[in-house]
Formats: sequence, C-alpha cells, structure tokens
Amino acid sequence: MRNPVGWAALTAFSLAFFAFIYAPLFVIIGYSFNSNPVNMMIWEHFTFDWYAGLLGLADRTTDVSNRAAYVESTGQMLAALRTSLTVAVITTTISTVLGTATAIALARYRFRLRGVYNGFLMLPMMMPDIVLGIGLLIFFVTIGMNLSMLTIIIGHCTFLASYVFIIVQARIAGIDPALEEASADLGASEWVTLRKVLLPQLAPGILGGALLAFVISMDDLVITYFVSGTGDTTLPVFIFGMIRRGVKPEINAIATLIILASVVIAALGLWLRSRKTD
Amino acid sequence: MAALLEISAARREFVTPEGGRLAALDGVDLTVGANEFVTLLGPSGCGKTTLLRAISGFEVLDNGTMRLDGMDLTALPPFRRPVNTVFQSYALFGHMTVARNVGYALEVAGVGKASRDAQVAEALEKVGLAGMGGRRPGQLSGGQRQRVALARAIIAKPRLLLLDEPLSALDRNLRQQMQLELKTLQHSLGIAFIFVTHDQEEALTMSDRIVVMRAGRIEQIGSPRDIYRHPKNRFVAEFIGETNLFPVTVDHVAGNIALGRTADGVELQLPATGRSVGEQVTAILRPADFTLGTAGIPGQVTREVYLGSDLYIFVQPKAGGPEIRVIARDGAGAAEGAAVHLAHDPTSVHVLEAA
Ligand SMILES: Nc1ncnc2c1ncn2[C@@H]1O[C@H](COP(=O)(O)OP(=O)(O)OP(=O)(O)O)[C@@H](O)[C@H]1O
Ligand SMILES: [Mg+2]
Repeated sequence: MRNPVGWAALTAFSLAFFAFIYAPLFVIIGYSFNSNPVNMMIWEHFTFDWYAGLLGLADRTTDVSNRAAYVESTGQMLAALRTSLTVAVITTTISTVLGTATAIALARYRFRLRGVYNGFLMLPMMMPDIVLGIGLLIFFVTIGMNLSMLTIIIGHCTFLASYVFIIVQARIAGIDPALEEASADLGASEWVTLRKVLLPQLAPGILGGALLAFVISMDDLVITYFVSGTGDTTLPVFIFGMIRRGVKPEINAIATLIILASVVIAALGLWLRSRKTD
Repeated sequence: MAALLEISAARREFVTPEGGRLAALDGVDLTVGANEFVTLLGPSGCGKTTLLRAISGFEVLDNGTMRLDGMDLTALPPFRRPVNTVFQSYALFGHMTVARNVGYALEVAGVGKASRDAQVAEALEKVGLAGMGGRRPGQLSGGQRQRVALARAIIAKPRLLLLDEPLSALDRNLRQQMQLELKTLQHSLGIAFIFVTHDQEEALTMSDRIVVMRAGRIEQIGSPRDIYRHPKNRFVAEFIGETNLFPVTVDHVAGNIALGRTADGVELQLPATGRSVGEQVTAILRPADFTLGTAGIPGQVTREVYLGSDLYIFVQPKAGGPEIRVIARDGAGAAEGAAVHLAHDPTSVHVLEAA
C-alpha cells in the first residue's frame, strides 16, 4: 500500500532535487536568448544574436557603442575550442590505452610492488588540482620545456589515465577469470584471448572511461591554466579570461552550446552501452 | 586398455595465507585409458580441481610428469594442450552468440566459416540445442547453458574432456537426465572423460573407474563395485555410501566362517579366509547387507526413515555400541520400538585388516 503523504513528500523531494541541480543550467540557457547587452539579468526580448555573433554569422562590430559587450573575436574562441577538442581527443586516446593496459596488468598478472602501484594510481585523482597544476608547471619549467599544447596534453594524461584505470579496474573485477581460462583452454593464445574475450568484455568500462576522460579534459580549468602557454588556450581557460573582464552575454550562449554538446555525448554513450549489453 | 593420460608423482604446493605450505597434490599417480570415464571423488579441498587444472595446464606442477598419448605435457601452455574443459561456472562468453561460443575453438584455430557453421550445427544437435545458435548465453536456462558449455568443449574433438562438477548447479531431475546424456555422449564420441563430483551416487552410476582422493593423495582407484564392496580403508568405506563399521576381535574360526566380536559384545560372522583367532580387524557391512529375521544380532529399532519402497532404520544392538543402519523393505515389521534380529550373509562382509 502506498502511503499518500509519504508519496507526496517523495515526489516533492525529487522535484526539489532536480530543480536544485538543473536550475542554474536553465537560467544560463534562458539568458542566452536575452537581448539586453548591458545587464543580462534584466530581460529585454528574445534574440539569437549572441549565437549568431559567436559563430561569426552576424556582423555587429559596426555597433561601436556596444563594442565591449562582444567576444573579442570569434576566431579566438573557435581556436580555443579547436585546441580543447584536439587536446581532449589526444588525451582521451592516450589515457584510455594507458589506463586500460594498467588495469589489465594489475588485475591479471602477479608481480612485485603490485599494491604500491595500485596506491600510486589512486593518488592523482585525490590530489587537489591546484597542487597537480603547480607541480606540473614547476616540473616543465625545471626540465626546460616550453608551455604549449604538448604540455597541456601531458598534464591531462597524468591524471586522466588514473580515471580510466579506476573505471576499467572496477569492470575487470567483475569479470570471471574463468572466461579467459576457457578461451585458452579452447586453443586461443593470450593475444587472441585479449582481443576476442577480455577487451569485448571490458568494452563498456573502456567506453565509460574514455567518455569520462574526454569530458574532464574538455572541462579542466585549473591544471590547464597552469600548464598552457600564451599560444594555445583551451575553451575553459578562454572563458575564464572573458569572465574576468565582466560577464558577457556571449558566455551564456557558449555555455548553452557546451551543455548541448554534453547531452549529445552522454546520449551517445548511453546508446552505445545499451547496444553492447544484452 | 591403451593409456591415454599418464600422470606420475604429481605434486603441487600452495603457500597458505598463514605462511605455511599445503600440498594440494601430494604424489598423485593416475593412468586414464582412451574412452574411459574416470571420476575424481573426495571431500572439499582434497585437490580435485587442482588435478584437473594441472592436466589442462592452468597449474604448473612442482614435481612429477604428465604425458598425453606419450607426449610430455609439462612444457605445453594450456592453449596448446589437446584437452578441453567444461567449467563449473560454464564460463560462457556473454558477448557472443551461442553459435559463436560453440564454434570458438574452431574460430581460433582458423577453420573456415562454412565448415565451422556445419560443425557448430552438428555439435548443437548433439547436445539437444539445435536452432538455439542465435541466442545469447544470458537468454538460456541453467541446463541449456550447461549444454552449450559441453558443445563448446567437444567441438574440437579433444582426446580428453575434463569436467569440474558440471552438474552441481542443476536440480535433481535435470541432473539425472544430464548424467545419462553425458554417459551416452562419452560413448558415441569415443573420448575419455575425467569427471569431478562431490556426489558419490553420481560417481557410482557414471564411472568406469572412481578415484577417491583425500588431502592431495589418492586413497583408492577402482571400479564402482570395487570401491563400494572392497574399500581399502575406513576413509573410503565411510566416504562412499552408508557404512556400518565394526572393529572386532576374531573369537574363533570354524570351517569357512570366522566369528568376530566387538568390545560391546556384538557378534558378526566373517569369511574365514586369512583370519586367525585373536586378530583385530574391522568388518564392513552396508545397510542393505542386513536382513530382518528371527536369528542374528538382537536389537531395537530406534528411528525409521521412510524412503518409498524401502525403509531406512537405525537399530540399537542389545549388547550396546553404536547404532546399526539398515535398509529394510517397507512392511517388514520394523516399526519404531520394535525388537528385531539382524541377520547377514558372512560372504558379503568386507574385512579391513586394521582394527
Ligand atoms: N591458488 C591457490 N592458492 C592457494 N591455495 C590453493 C589454491 N588453489 C587451491 N588451493 C588449496 O588447495 C587445496 C585443494 O584445492 P582444490 O580446489 O583442488 O580442491 P577441490 O578438491 O577441488 O575442492 P572442492 O570439492 O571444494 O572444489 C585446497 O586446500 C585449497 O585451499
Ligand atoms: Mg573443486
């Protein structure tokens, strides 16, 4: 029997919970269509201008009086986005391979100092970003490496490999080792077993780890802030720079587009997973 | 019978968490003939799984040799051994269809698709799963998964099939049906089976030979009848089937019958061959070896267990000592509390030399 009061309370709580999580996002999405260029808190009327401006579709540079309200240059922002995507794709690839290989090695092979490795792999996740960022910066300066896209990629890989490792390790812990034995028993070499049995079994974990790594890489501000040079800037660092000179309406539009992209990626991930499992 | 598998002096030690050493295999010698059905039987932890894993190559022996068809297996990794295994957990590949599971051995051996498909269909047919090839293991019942595991293990026509408690997850009816099917399959395939079970009844009904193990050692190898009727020691006698053990002193020998008496005074007739007066031996009688009558050991029925057409009764001998377990026909007048006499045929008594 349902208790009506309890049921109502549960419903109210759930609604409040989702409101708490999503309200800020909806506010941003709402304001991204507000045409007021000076004070975005005051609703003027609906417009697509900020999106058009971002994408370089509308030439509003003639409106000199509002000059300060606009993105410095659409080109700069797109360059930052391109850097972010490049960094994210490369780091996701590297950290997924590293994290997966490490998880398999630690779960399936016995060697000295196994426990120690395990501990060290958890560390980058628990360390505050700011400490990692400063540490990386000092390291790069010490070895005389110029800050560039390469240092961003290296910086991201140091902790993203750990994230992938944790997720793949959780998955591998749930896989019956007898599966690999059965494969070997039926004549498959270790390499064939890895390809035909272990990796397909791990696929949801690897995919999950890769998506997480991609999203975190796209999102990272603190560490990237320390290890990015003057040339290559990622989107979060670029936005952070914009905000320091005042919150501009374009930021809402950028944020909305990022939310949209995240939703698409998450949906893609879920769809792939639902296809994989039976 | 030509020896297919020869294991001699196999030894495997594990380091226990407490830091000690434990010999899971402690000098095992075993020969298995072609097309023989051998069952490993023994209490939990006696080394049955370890022995199977040593044969399939997942455990490396510390000592001893292992030959298959005269070929030394010692240095061969599992994937090069012409031996296949049916795992207790089935270990089916959940991400593959039933057909691909079954054809896996052929797939990794590089057999072409057409020939593979034909053999998969044939193997599925053999285990009664024709037409199920398109399913996923997750969509099958326990018994069907068991059959897939079996089909997968026999498709490459191994010389020797290892089965580690393959039926333990099935219910009683399915289990009995599978026992029969396994036996039939083993005959038609003409390959040798090494079968592990906890279930002595299963061992007795299915095996050509039973290997009774204890603590990493083989206690006795023999046919089911041998093991049941002529156990080598108390352990084997007590492990296989219900047993009454009587430590007796031989009182006198007359003709081909010797009379033994327990410390409590229960008198038993034994075959006289090899007996001498005053000797201490253990007499073994199975519950079915006793008949209720007017002569024999006097006693009183203390408990009865109804088994269908038979009645399982516990009889307290008048002279004292432990209760005797007896199987009587239902309606033979063996109700609880009844006074009975237990007669037995002296020739059916098995005698262990040690008291
Ligand atoms: N990898 C291992 N490390 C340490 N000890 C082990 C290992 N594998 C098995 N043993 C020990 O070896 C002994 C024999 O184990 P085994 O699995 O062969 O027993 P079993 O006869 O198959 O038992 P069961 O009937 O319960 O399956 C046990 O005492 C077990 O604890
Ligand atoms: Mg076992």
